[in-house]
Amino acid sequence: MIRTPRMFRLMAVMLLASGLTTACGSNEGDSSDAPASGSGPSPSAPSDSASPSADSGKVVKLDIIETGNNLPPPDKDFIKRELDKALHTDISLTVYASGDDYKNQLNVRMASGNFPDLFMVPDRSTLKQYVQQGLLLDLSPYKDQLKAAVDFVGEDSLKKTSFDGKVYAIPKAPNIPYNTYWIRKDWLDKLGLQPPQTIDELLSTAVAFTEQDPDGNGKKDTIGLTGSKLSAFAPVFGAFGVGNPGDFYLSGGKLMNSLYEPGMKDALAFINKMIASGSVDPELMANTGLQHQEKAIKGQAGIVWIDWPNLSKDQFTEQIEKVNPNAEWIQLAPPKGPGGQNDGSFDIGGSPGIYAIPKALEKNEEKLRKVFDLLNYVSTKDGSNLVQFGVQGRHFNLEGDKVVPTDLMAQEAGFTWLYQFTGRPEKSYLQVKFEKQASFIDFADKQPRIQTLNGFLMTPDGYNAADANRYIEEETVKFAYGKRPLSEYDAFLSTLETSMNYKSFLDSAFQQLKELGYGN
Amino acid sequence: MGGRHMVRGTEERVFQIVVAAVLSLCGLAALFPLLYVLSVSLTPFSEVLRNGGFILIPRSITFDAYRKLLTESNVPQAFGVTAFITVVGTLLNLAVTSLMAYPLSRKQLPGRNLFLMLIVFTLLFSGGIIPTYLVVKSLGLLDSVWSMILPNMVWSFNVLIMKSFYETLPEELFESARMDGAKEFRILARIVLPLSVPVTLTIGLFYAVGHWNEFFQAIMYVTDRELFPLQVIVREILIQTQQPLENAENMTPTETLQMASVILASLPIIVVYPFLQKHFTKGMLLGSVKG
Repeated sequence: MIRTPRMFRLMAVMLLASGLTTACGSNEGDSSDAPASGSGPSPSAPSDSASPSADSGKVVKLDIIETGNNLPPPDKDFIKRELDKALHTDISLTVYASGDDYKNQLNVRMASGNFPDLFMVPDRSTLKQYVQQGLLLDLSPYKDQLKAAVDFVGEDSLKKTSFDGKVYAIPKAPNIPYNTYWIRKDWLDKLGLQPPQTIDELLSTAVAFTEQDPDGNGKKDTIGLTGSKLSAFAPVFGAFGVGNPGDFYLSGGKLMNSLYEPGMKDALAFINKMIASGSVDPELMANTGLQHQEKAIKGQAGIVWIDWPNLSKDQFTEQIEKVNPNAEWIQLAPPKGPGGQNDGSFDIGGSPGIYAIPKALEKNEEKLRKVFDLLNYVSTKDGSNLVQFGVQGRHFNLEGDKVVPTDLMAQEAGFTWLYQFTGRPEKSYLQVKFEKQASFIDFADKQPRIQTLNGFLMTPDGYNAADANRYIEEETVKFAYGKRPLSEYDAFLSTLETSMNYKSFLDSAFQQLKELGYGN
Repeated sequence: MGGRHMVRGTEERVFQIVVAAVLSLCGLAALFPLLYVLSVSLTPFSEVLRNGGFILIPRSITFDAYRKLLTESNVPQAFGVTAFITVVGTLLNLAVTSLMAYPLSRKQLPGRNLFLMLIVFTLLFSGGIIPTYLVVKSLGLLDSVWSMILPNMVWSFNVLIMKSFYETLPEELFESARMDGAKEFRILARIVLPLSVPVTLTIGLFYAVGHWNEFFQAIMYVTDRELFPLQVIVREILIQTQQPLENAENMTPTETLQMASVILASLPIIVVYPFLQKHFTKGMLLGSVKG
């Protein structure tokens, strides 16, 4: 009863505030294009050691905020302790479990000038907004001082956070794909089926799982395929050679948007056929969070589109076994279709996180150096090992260059990723931390996928991405569920182009991607 | 005549039965989710899963989830913070609110209408988040428990309820007290407050529940984990399964653990309610009827 009015108030104020900050921002914006040269000592030796600057006798307090969870209290936080020791800092990291809470907190702090020293930018539109308001430090002049961090994430990655040639944030090192179809091997065996290799077999298997009582309880209470919303069909789109609705990618050297590919209509027609067969989770569009995972664990569904951690981590294999000791989940290569074989799409422009430094820090050279030191430290060997695996000797040992985990790693070092401000070398990291899951990680990583480029895109002014995306989702769902005939597909596109201003987005997107060197 | 009475009697009785039945159904419907939460929190998670996630009467009971919450998480710390905010905050709230309501209830107060207008004004308009944040910041309250107590010292609405209640006290009492030489503070402390136990408890409960559920100000003003109140921690536990995977390392709390955290967070208030109930209804009624 107290919450709702507050929310309204909040919204109203955010509106007001965004007006205010824009005004303030533009005032300060132009005044300082301060060249980095001359300020601060020359960049520390670009060698691997990236030892923190020697002049740091004084402890500097660093205030960092991001989303996350399970951060232990400071006295038990050994990563904080080690980082503070190495860098002469007093790092105060605050994590917010809810993305919305985080955005509120960040917006209020940015608007009131109480800037954190380093913070996660929730998404690209926020990044754009902050850049336009002049709130973020242009990192381009400091690239030399950030060499270790830049090398770690890859110079190329900086494209993701650049505007007009200036770098405004550091993206984390790139991810690898986690998702595949998972299928119940014991159900296949019981019904005498082979793992499906084509989309037609996928459909017939899903139908068999629904109709033929694979769990043998005499009740027709199983579903073939589940997942979270339309993403459950990512490999089906892939089998028709198209990305998920709205994806941009290169197809035969040409830049494409999936909505304009002929395969999109065919894919929607096939998905419609699957849904009409009754073998798809009837609550598919209502699944939020991890509900599809729960259905899989509880033995209600036989095929699920999900990431490997959520089905193969020890925590979940235990649960699966407790429900049914005979349950056996295996990964499924993407089924083939008329357009080839693709395990959905993977955004090579995406980043698991973007970190920015406020412009205000420019004036506080000492602090700024410490933030750079921190970013460099977690990007070089010692620091990176620390934030990846924990304390050497306690959580892992080095045999040559190989990281050998101890038992304590699994018990104590689960939260260290919160300090991976520049990310981690994804695959080698996962294979150490998830030794038992190594084969699943490898399998998911090796599947062919359509490499989409959406992550590189900046939305042009006058185009509301949220509205357009919602419209695309709503309409594709209607097509998939047969609520709107596919003969109206072209009408859908023209509404999208005109009412939703998608045309201007398309033009701008192709333009931007060409400038980045994609397509011709 | 007697016959008609009889008919009316049975009609009355049928009506009573229907009312009782409907009300108990409503009561059950309200209890049902609570029972579900309690049962899941007491059942081993494997059992929950085997039952397709639905358990009403636990067949085997474990206190593991509670033990885990109370020993291995931030919950005890947060409990302390919340208890402090609730107790100290409510006492301060009551002190300030009654100090404000008492003069406003006296018709002799000069500019009374102006003050009332100002108070009602704050009911309709507020400074908004960012200005409030700036005030809290410049007072140096960020990252302290006081940021969850001081900004909301008074709820205007509660002042009005309390003022209406004070107005119902017979004027003669005040006159005789004054005759005996009592000044305003003494009248408030010795006469008004002892006579207003119901409204004080009711409003105290409003404030206390508000503090117990403290969430928003904590999220805004506090960054130190040690100062997070209970609801923030509980929400962290609950929200983790509602978000898509961000990191492979995330440990998803089991449903059992989630439900146990819900019980821990709401139990104290549930326990307090019945004891305050009789004052509660009385206080509400008096405030509203004579307002």
